[in-house]
Amino acid sequence: MEARCKPNPWSRRRFLTAAVGGAALLGAAPLLTACGGNGVAAAAPTGPPRRGGTLRVGVTGGGASDTIDPHIPATNPDIARVINLYEPLLLRDHEYRLQPVVAQSMTSSPDARTWTAVLREGIKFHDGRPVTPADVVATFKRITDPKDPKSGAAGLTMLGEVVPSGDHSVEFRLTEPNAGFDDLLGQYSLGIVPADFDLKRPIGTGPFRMGQFTAGLQSTFVRNEHYWRPGQPYADQLVLINFAEDDARINALLSSQVDAIDQVPVALVDVLRSDPRMRVLTSDTGTWLPFTMRVDRPPFDDVRVRQALRLVVDREQMINQVLSGQGRVGNDLYAPFDPAYAKDLPQRRQNIDEAKRLLAAAGKPDLDIELVTAPIQAGAVEAAQVFQQQAKAAGVTVRIRKLDTTTFYGENYLSWDFAQDFWYTRNYLPQVASGSLPKAPYNETHWSDPEFTDLVTRASSTVDAKARGDLLHRAQQIEYERGGLIVWGFVDQVDAHQAYVAGLVPDRTGISLSGYQFREAWLGTAPGGAA
Amino acid sequence: MTRLIVKRLLVSLAVLWLVTLLVFVATLLLPGDPARAILGQQATPERIAALQHQLHLDEPVWQRYLDWLGGLFTGDLGTSTSTQGPVTALLADRVSASLVLLVLAAVIATPLGLALGTWSALRRGRAADQAVSGISLVIAALPEFVIGIALIVLFATTVFKVLPSVTLTPPGEAVWRQPSQLVLPVLTLVLVVMPYITRMMRGTMNEVLDSGYVEMARLKGLRERTVLVRHALPHAVGPVAQVVALQLAWLAGGVVVVEFLFRYPGIGQALIDAVGKRDVAVVQAITLLIAAVYIVVNLIADVVGILADPKLRTEAA
Repeated sequence: MEARCKPNPWSRRRFLTAAVGGAALLGAAPLLTACGGNGVAAAAPTGPPRRGGTLRVGVTGGGASDTIDPHIPATNPDIARVINLYEPLLLRDHEYRLQPVVAQSMTSSPDARTWTAVLREGIKFHDGRPVTPADVVATFKRITDPKDPKSGAAGLTMLGEVVPSGDHSVEFRLTEPNAGFDDLLGQYSLGIVPADFDLKRPIGTGPFRMGQFTAGLQSTFVRNEHYWRPGQPYADQLVLINFAEDDARINALLSSQVDAIDQVPVALVDVLRSDPRMRVLTSDTGTWLPFTMRVDRPPFDDVRVRQALRLVVDREQMINQVLSGQGRVGNDLYAPFDPAYAKDLPQRRQNIDEAKRLLAAAGKPDLDIELVTAPIQAGAVEAAQVFQQQAKAAGVTVRIRKLDTTTFYGENYLSWDFAQDFWYTRNYLPQVASGSLPKAPYNETHWSDPEFTDLVTRASSTVDAKARGDLLHRAQQIEYERGGLIVWGFVDQVDAHQAYVAGLVPDRTGISLSGYQFREAWLGTAPGGAA
Repeated sequence: MTRLIVKRLLVSLAVLWLVTLLVFVATLLLPGDPARAILGQQATPERIAALQHQLHLDEPVWQRYLDWLGGLFTGDLGTSTSTQGPVTALLADRVSASLVLLVLAAVIATPLGLALGTWSALRRGRAADQAVSGISLVIAALPEFVIGIALIVLFATTVFKVLPSVTLTPPGEAVWRQPSQLVLPVLTLVLVVMPYITRMMRGTMNEVLDSGYVEMARLKGLRERTVLVRHALPHAVGPVAQVVALQLAWLAGGVVVVEFLFRYPGIGQALIDAVGKRDVAVVQAITLLIAAVYIVVNLIADVVGILADPKLRTEAA
């Protein structure tokens, strides 16, 4: 795709819009305009949000196994549906701060063993019934059902029981102290549903009610008139359309068949940027694509080998070649938005001489390793290839074994010696609970370090933020020195929408398109043929 | 002649059965099982075990195959592991959507290709003939997704923005209710199969026009139109029918790529999804369907060939 049409200079576009007062030009690009050549450029709508209209969004992935079950979202379309239909007690906002949603407050006892959620006053389900403590209890029973545990169950192992403690409050009694329990509850897959929840009548407290749902194709939603945030949602209707293929999704945006799409392939960002009708939405996120080395298997059981491989990586080059510059350099640590993130540890850089020295000291000067990769996320396979090239400089031979995603996540997932994975934004302790403890469900590196585990366990039960921060800092230092992860960078989230769509903002969670929070989106001028 | 046709029919059925066996084994050879494929990264041992039980994946392989084969005779295509509902329900709309594409493409490409080939043959060696030959050769060399992408760039996203680039029919509504969405996918399929039909028709017509009986007819002083319709065309039908059949049969498989590109809600999309999710029953059903189309179309071509060939027609009778 060569650039057939040169975009209007930005300054001229801005001048034009300013001159006409903005509004008149909105969405005025006629259907037959081949390029921006005749000077009509769309400007972003301004002023207070407008109500009404249908927002059509193209979402990556999904298929016949799509679901509207609030507690087992697996694919992007699932997540988008769940976020707009249901709400958990707490949820991360665009800045990655924990905000009360169905709960109006969440407080811990001094020993961090009992947490009390007070439900938001006047909050109602889609059918108008108020949310009661019994509904919350039933929701968590459904999630942690031992016969059919839902996605969130793995992170709630310390949850003993959930009991009503008043007309509007619920108590969470833990089997062990956990000072970050509120953080664990702030997941989109923990949506509160009524006690009599039935998938045939998917009811929650979300901004939209379910309209039609067809697995693998599309789902429609209508405005929830009982929604508790005043004024929201702005759109009357929301349509989420599945796209299995990148090109089809981009083409649908370019031919104005959808108003917004998630996950623009980095190679196509410039194509969209040069189209005056489009806006590219880029977000800093805590999403990372680590290389995972099993610390319990040779050659990675030798800490010098792990350090050498970390020193082999040219992180800037990774960001530039793998992500076309859409990302930030990593320092073999995760959870960059955690207040306790160890930002004072020196940035690790490529150092081939030191890597060679370490390998020689470990008795492996001609290291030959196999790297298992799969297109698990945009950039994963490319990262493997760039790493292969970079490692050559230190005399390390990396053989790439490329699998399809299903095989990668098949029965050998979590037992590859040297592979990759991807994670969205999380704070430190929840991430540790998911992947860096001996009993964590996704411990790819088989990381089991008694000193580390001890620090983390103590931090988990420390309510005082300062004391906890110190413990977490020491834990991060251990991972920085001898961990099994190569965290070369954090990936920007890149989405795109038509210029007439407003209210979509950068979101740090790593979830696409403003965290799929479509309650905030509004249409400046009704797009041609919105249906 | 009847015996010949019955024999062909029996062979076709045997081939179909072989296809079921091959597809079943092939899907088993795919690493990973449906439970893991559905759960993706969210898979924990507990969730995998729960789902495997729900999906009856704990039953032996041969039992699953026999159950499925038995179901075929009663019109039951089995249960999709992805939707956990009947495969027939999953495929009903999709089959009709794909058929619309196939039939439209076939109905447009076949007569157009035959006519263009004939027209070209009658102008042998002239500029028009050379143009048709050249262009059809170039198009025939392009894979279907290149043609599709070129058409999208030309008519939907970059040059002229007049046609939709993807199909966004609301579920429950038939795809043909918004005909503009059909234009590009149908055009792509037409452009993919037409060159072959055109070239084959041109070649065969050239041969026929050079033959003794056409010369004789012309010498008898018959009008050129009569020569063409009564003497030349019938002799070209047999061999050309084979190529047309091959092309139309190819459509059934080629539709997979085209549907993927245009997000067309047909069997192609369903097949790609089902392979990714290791949804064996759905893969089986769709492959069987595509194989069946192949076999039936070829069967028809053979019958036409037998009927068109006087030697076979009389020998076999």
